[in-house]
Amino acid sequence: MAAIRSEQRKLSLLLERQWVSSLPLLRWIAGLPYFGFVFFFMILPFLFLLIGSLQDAQGRWTLKNYMDLLEPSILEAYSISVRISLASAIGGGILGFLLAYAITVGGLPSGIRSALLTFSGVASNFAGVPLAFAFIATLGRTGLVTVLLKSAGIDLYGAGFNLYSFWGLTLTYIYFQLPLMVLVITPALDGLRREWREAAESLGASTLQYWWRIALPILTPSVLGAMVLLFGNAFGAYATAVSLTGGFINLVTIVIGAQISGDVLYNMNLGYALAMGMVFIMTLMMILYRFLRQQGERWLQ
Amino acid sequence: MKGRPSLWSWLWLLIGTLYFFLPLLATFLFSLRAKKGVLSLLAYQRVLQDPRFYRAFLFSLEIGVLTIVFSIALVVPTAYWIRVSAPQLRSLVEWTTMMPFVIPPVVLTFGLIRLYSRPPLPLTSTFEGTTFLLVAGYVVLSLPYMYRAVDIGLQAIDVRGLTEAAQSLGAGWGTILFRVIFPNLRVALLSGSFLTLAIVMGEYTMASFLVGLNAFGPYMWLVGRNKTYESAALSIISFALTWFCISLIQVLNRGRGVAQIPGAH
Amino acid sequence: MRFLRFVPQMLLLSAWLLVACQPGATPAPSAAPPPAPGLEGLVKAAQAEGMLTVIALPHDWCNYGEAIETFKKRYGIQVNELNPDASSAEEIEAIKANKGSKGPQAPDVIDVGLGFAPQLVEEQLVMPYKVSTWDTIPNEVKHPDGYWYGDYYGVIAFEVNKEVVKNVPQDWADLLKPEYKNMVALAGDPRLSAQAQMSVYAAALANGGSLDNVMPGLEFFKKLNEVGNFVPVIGKQSTVAKGETPILIRWDYNALADKEALAGNPEIEVVIPKSGVIAGVYVQAISAYAPHPNAAKLWMEFLYSDEGQLIWLKGGCHPIRYADLVKRNVIPPDIAAKLPPAEAYARAVFPTIEQINRAKQVIADNWMKVVGAEVK
Repeated sequence: MAAIRSEQRKLSLLLERQWVSSLPLLRWIAGLPYFGFVFFFMILPFLFLLIGSLQDAQGRWTLKNYMDLLEPSILEAYSISVRISLASAIGGGILGFLLAYAITVGGLPSGIRSALLTFSGVASNFAGVPLAFAFIATLGRTGLVTVLLKSAGIDLYGAGFNLYSFWGLTLTYIYFQLPLMVLVITPALDGLRREWREAAESLGASTLQYWWRIALPILTPSVLGAMVLLFGNAFGAYATAVSLTGGFINLVTIVIGAQISGDVLYNMNLGYALAMGMVFIMTLMMILYRFLRQQGERWLQ
Repeated sequence: MKGRPSLWSWLWLLIGTLYFFLPLLATFLFSLRAKKGVLSLLAYQRVLQDPRFYRAFLFSLEIGVLTIVFSIALVVPTAYWIRVSAPQLRSLVEWTTMMPFVIPPVVLTFGLIRLYSRPPLPLTSTFEGTTFLLVAGYVVLSLPYMYRAVDIGLQAIDVRGLTEAAQSLGAGWGTILFRVIFPNLRVALLSGSFLTLAIVMGEYTMASFLVGLNAFGPYMWLVGRNKTYESAALSIISFALTWFCISLIQVLNRGRGVAQIPGAH
Repeated sequence: MRFLRFVPQMLLLSAWLLVACQPGATPAPSAAPPPAPGLEGLVKAAQAEGMLTVIALPHDWCNYGEAIETFKKRYGIQVNELNPDASSAEEIEAIKANKGSKGPQAPDVIDVGLGFAPQLVEEQLVMPYKVSTWDTIPNEVKHPDGYWYGDYYGVIAFEVNKEVVKNVPQDWADLLKPEYKNMVALAGDPRLSAQAQMSVYAAALANGGSLDNVMPGLEFFKKLNEVGNFVPVIGKQSTVAKGETPILIRWDYNALADKEALAGNPEIEVVIPKSGVIAGVYVQAISAYAPHPNAAKLWMEFLYSDEGQLIWLKGGCHPIRYADLVKRNVIPPDIAAKLPPAEAYARAVFPTIEQINRAKQVIADNWMKVVGAEVK
């Protein structure tokens, strides 16, 4: 019986390989819906961005917008944006991972798990003006926690904390980064089969060895992918930052907003070039991610 | 089955709960101050008696559901195809899924309006066409989240093994996708759907330029401008309502029986 | 016991039932004065079009909410309200992007800052129209051929939460006093928002600057930040009510609208500063590509009629025909009573288009350099 099965298997694989290799085009057709959609609804608008960044206000071709990107205040804006995105991605990523761990492998009751997943779905998009106000109402100078702590003798602002700062903004960003991490990483943690752990333990591995040799290598590509998502999420954020910083923190999205949507006589082409700069940074991040993922996969071998 | 939860698990849950709960509590307490000197639900009353609230919420909810359906239909076969047939295209596809983060929403919105205001595809001449454009735009915006969720979900299951096993039993691609892959992606698809729904309910820029105050995001903004306590109440209400809708999805999902990977935790 | 999972949902549902099923107030019907002579044809043409698309009109900005509702009910024309938060730049972009479209997302009419007016004509984005009350609009704020026309103006004022601030500041110099530590904020980001830029402009006038020299305004905010009185967050009605930004610098009409909306919870006082009073004018125009040109024209007739102008005045904005309304004594005393005293407005300074644009550019370019804290 087994022999017949394996023969059947070889045959079907052979057929598949022949079928597939004899019609290379057919493999690519499967991608048509996706690439078609992306082309019509993302690439084409994106071309406006690309072309606009290479033109000036009168429509003539120029590289001036890109030269303007090298101005120190703009480079600083990129730096701050990248740092806030990294900080909230790593912070939210690690904390989200731990929370997801608690509800999967960590064995909290399934009621709590579904409540947390539901909550994460909502909280991950509780951003913008309502979130900014919620944090002002909590950790602003007249905020709930600030006042409570003061009555307990702890002066937050006196000790140097300030919601309206880089770390204050990072803390606010984590509010939607953390749930995002929980939501996307939970399936990966679910996939960590208990048998592997039991097998490892029966072979004499300690918890640390299990994590180092088995669990982390398996999880790494997913965790990296999730953190890249978090990075992008923070990098493109605008509404929360505007509401919470009032002109004091120099983020690229705000600078772009000033050029494209501002009330002063604006320079849209510079705005487009700024956005292309963001595309460039995002691409660098994707390259880094791909490199780390491949390293991770090698580790798995 | 699962092991006993350790102290650490409860600790992280506690910290997480506090962190999430306190800003909501602060907003809620503020929303109770609509009547001077007294804690009351007046702000909630005002919000819930505004017919525009219901219209906007239902409109965005419908758009959200449409977006989820199209997004899943687009992303799952693509992510699957990448893993099985075309791994060399993976980086390219992933790059396209991250682009929605860095294209400014205003640029995307006006780009779409410009492109689809003239023949051959004058989508913006009618309300239905504009709504379709809005859904398409939202599918683009939700792409990073849906793709990443599905990708991680696929990572956690043995895609090749399942595919080959199904094929050796004579299954075609359609059967493989619908009866083997989809059921195993249950949790990942739920995550992606939750994220997409939340995005659509709160999105402002695209909605405001395409459908204006008909959508929930612009409506929330309008209330937030001038009606302080109602705005705080609205944040809490929309939070609670979105929670309700998402729980509904979870309940409906639970009823269909679990097709989890055996023994996985 | 599994139903316990639904406790939050059940609580929500019962709360909703309790709260929503209370009788609400019924709106009073609006009296309909007959249309001005000659306009009946326009009314019919507009009603045939059936729709008007507006943009950037928050309901509490100059009481546009009432204007829109009155227009809708009176003429039975549907009003699409696009992005109420749109900046002047976005309104213009919306016209440009929708050139080929007659759909419901193409704006018919726009309301932009005075500084943007020349661009409207240069880029042929608007069509000319002279309302029946054209002659009573001052010449300085309208285009001679009718391409754009001023609609209202306001001055920069202080919105003060009296329950947090015991001693209400009366002038710019007062804001620097130590008793106002961590209290003063702007209503926008000076790199993006006209309201914030005009606030800096006004500060310049009060601190040795002029309509052509706004640097003193930036220096003022630098000092304000250095003494610790400036709160680096965008202020709005909620942050004023919460007490986080109890002194907010913004347009007087927005402050008055907040005072009205909060209705004493908390008490708000609107202060026109003693020095440095700058007026900001906004202009109306009809899009050259308007899908509903007749509805647009009817909307303009409505806004520039006595009734429309008074609706704006109710919102705290000074309508552009204010002098004419005063001369003919048509302003109801209860509306006049809610406004700050007229002497305060006598001190107002009106910059020209070129001055506005130059000043805004200087402010936007230099804000981070002069005032911005170095955030590491």
